[in-house]
Amino acid sequence: MTPQVLDVREMSISYGSRVPALLAVSGVSFSVESGQCLGVVGESGSGKSTTGLAIQGLLTRDPSVSATGSLTIAGTELNPVVERGWEGIRGRTVTTVFQDPMSSLDPTMTIGRMLTFVAGSKAESLRWLDEVEIRDPAAVFRSYPHQLSGGMRQRVMIALALARRPALLVADEPTTALDVSVQAQILKLLRREQEALGCGIVFVTHDLGVAKAMCDEVVVMRNGCIVERGTSARVFGAPESEYARRLMESRLTMATDRHRPVGLPEATVVNAMVESLNEGRAETATTTVDAVTAEWNARSLLWSDFAPADVGEVSVPPGASPGAAPIAALEFTAVTKSYPTGGGIARLKTVLSEVSLRVEKRESVALVGESGSGKSTILRIAAGLESASGGSVQRSDVDADAVQVIFQDAGASLTPWLTVEQLLTERVRNSKRGGKVSAKDAARLVGLAMDRVSLDRALLTSKPSQLSGGQRQRVAIARAIVIPPTILLCDEPTSALDVSIASTVLNLLNLLRHALGISVLFVTHDLAAARVISDRILVISEGQIIESVPAENVSSTVSSDYARRLLDAVLS
Amino acid sequence: MVRFIIRRLVSLVVVLFSLSVLVFVLQRVGNADPVRAYLGPNASQAAIAATRIKFGLDKPLIVQYFDYLGGLFHGDLGMSYSTRRPVAVELADKVPATLELAAWVLFFAIILAVILAGIYTLKGPVSGVIRFVFFSFASAPSFLLATLMLLLFFKQLHWFPAVGRITDTSGGGPTGFYVLDGLLTGNLAYSLDAIQHLVLPALAASLGIGVALARVLADGLSSGMASNYARTARSLAETERSILFRHSLRNASSPALSMLGVLSGAMLSSLVVVEQIFSWNGLGQYLSTAIASADFPAVAGVSLVLGAVYVILTAIVDVVLALVDPRVKLT
Repeated sequence: MTPQVLDVREMSISYGSRVPALLAVSGVSFSVESGQCLGVVGESGSGKSTTGLAIQGLLTRDPSVSATGSLTIAGTELNPVVERGWEGIRGRTVTTVFQDPMSSLDPTMTIGRMLTFVAGSKAESLRWLDEVEIRDPAAVFRSYPHQLSGGMRQRVMIALALARRPALLVADEPTTALDVSVQAQILKLLRREQEALGCGIVFVTHDLGVAKAMCDEVVVMRNGCIVERGTSARVFGAPESEYARRLMESRLTMATDRHRPVGLPEATVVNAMVESLNEGRAETATTTVDAVTAEWNARSLLWSDFAPADVGEVSVPPGASPGAAPIAALEFTAVTKSYPTGGGIARLKTVLSEVSLRVEKRESVALVGESGSGKSTILRIAAGLESASGGSVQRSDVDADAVQVIFQDAGASLTPWLTVEQLLTERVRNSKRGGKVSAKDAARLVGLAMDRVSLDRALLTSKPSQLSGGQRQRVAIARAIVIPPTILLCDEPTSALDVSIASTVLNLLNLLRHALGISVLFVTHDLAAARVISDRILVISEGQIIESVPAENVSSTVSSDYARRLLDAVLS
Repeated sequence: MVRFIIRRLVSLVVVLFSLSVLVFVLQRVGNADPVRAYLGPNASQAAIAATRIKFGLDKPLIVQYFDYLGGLFHGDLGMSYSTRRPVAVELADKVPATLELAAWVLFFAIILAVILAGIYTLKGPVSGVIRFVFFSFASAPSFLLATLMLLLFFKQLHWFPAVGRITDTSGGGPTGFYVLDGLLTGNLAYSLDAIQHLVLPALAASLGIGVALARVLADGLSSGMASNYARTARSLAETERSILFRHSLRNASSPALSMLGVLSGAMLSSLVVVEQIFSWNGLGQYLSTAIASADFPAVAGVSLVLGAVYVILTAIVDVVLALVDPRVKLT
């Protein structure tokens, strides 16, 4: 029998500093054996991070945290909130790989100094750097964290955590801040090192794909409780609890049906759908929440059902002769962009070279690439936030305001001291015909936009800080569509959100683009999300668009190595 | 590094040049007549006219300025109107006096800041007291502190002397920095006496700066202790004290050092007051006499020296910043 390295029995943890006191973890039990990897999966607020901190002994400094239950690490019984007993365990028997390798490494210290502190000698440090597959250990030994890439930093973090040969490793979202292709390498490395050392791993993550790829067993947490546990294959294959089932359904893979809403019916989206379907119809022909939910469950609800009846007229601009090429919503012709770098006078760093792209009216295009590929620069140029160094950019603003942008971090893009109503009304006023809109009409438009993203009108008087992350992102969407633009630019709008909220946002965006006939340019690093939201996918690498494929069958049509790599990185 | 030095030398020249223009213009705009200041109130019209020509004051203003500037290049700061001696000679023993005091002020300020911020961050039983110190001392003017210190340490306790730089004025050495001179000539008693004279004025001038610095440092240390790299260190079994000194202090010193650069400018002007109170025969005392007697060459000389000191101090701060934080590049 393999020895047990971690045993948690009925552990509860509460934060007394919050008002009212918050029970973050409630009666959680699980155990990990040597050589086993246990996934602790959940969304934000599920208590998975607190659980992770508790088993590392990192909750002992805050006097307002209290705990009950028992925690045994490698045969030693410990109290997660009392410092006594942790010495010799924390940092030796149990170590951690943290999420963000940039901020988790001291920026003023060389890798060598950090690693020698735990490894003991320079030779041993170099051996560990070699062990985590760093190509030039001697150079990295002398480097500071900011001189390394994200993936390299995470390898250093793993070397730091493993150098003392712990019995238990806590991996706290170790790949969340990394590019998808780096993520796969890091997971492989963790797997290999686990086999070599035989340690147990507690893998805390919100990413179901990562958990499925990495873990032998999984516990799913929600609101501080474990709602489901079992082997990885069983939990992912046939989830028993309603919540786990919803989570698994929300997960995007390359096999997700892109013609239907993602995930299970959710009140927010269903309400918005009903609103959209009933708009402009006679009283007698209205549909209901129950009817839409039933259709969704029966998988007979298609996005095409939401297209307005007058599709044909929208795309033909007034005065255009029939049969002429339709005006694109957005067109880039040989756009280049370069920045001056510090140092020389004429030294320029080219981020975009000769990019041409065209987004038709009502079309949705996704721009997929890794960080540094130039995808966000394209979006910022399209939005007019930056100007191109060369080439031409054309936006169609004949009959509407040309562009609106939804950013990744909606919380930061909403002015904190304005209420939701002020934010939305301000957008109406600033639009092209905003000056002519009466106060009554503005209020009606704002109310309508709230319905379209299914936000309760009672929230109009709230400020952004009083809303949840998902609500804030929906306010950002409402602001972008309160006066429907020709094209909606989305910069990774779902990547900072939990799985279930992300699928809500994707569903809402899809609903809006079909119901309102808005074009979409969707920038992302996630090929699976791109496939769901778009008609066509552009793959971008090093400032150049290297491939354009229809979203319908990406997997079979991509040809470049780079796109293949991105494809492989989407965990099935 | 070479680029950095060249850039700083250029900025030194620019600062000195602008200062010379500024001081020159100010003096001409003012009402005080330098010739009357030089000759005294009872001089005859003939003597005034003669001196005016002797000083070149009859020439056009622009020519006067270039005459002055030309002198500067040869190290000639002009004649003091009130003492009738070359300003450069007069400054020769004032500059070391002030620089020695300034060095001690900075030294005390840094020590004070690290101690206060460290105790505050480790959340001991006295951190409440230190919070009070942060708020009260930062606003206390240095002349008040100086007077209080004189009353306590000189008048009541007799721990330190109150006046001058040294008891035995007959001694001396090659540099004019008395502590250093004592060490160089092997006269330790001389150094010790100089240090005793330095303590009170240096403390009085350093308290305000040190407390302001400590507040910035304490902020940086607290956020450092709550940072992700501190969490990593904790998870690797480092103690709180080790995290504070190995990781946080270095990360927190960047903003504190920038602050120190700014404060050192303020320190130079606060030294004028402190030197008066302690009869410290330095630039500050010299400057206030010179201003009172409309002694333009003297005022200009002191301004130029202080300007140069300030530029050099900021350059030193930048170098230290780059040494402390590997992400900072010297440009």
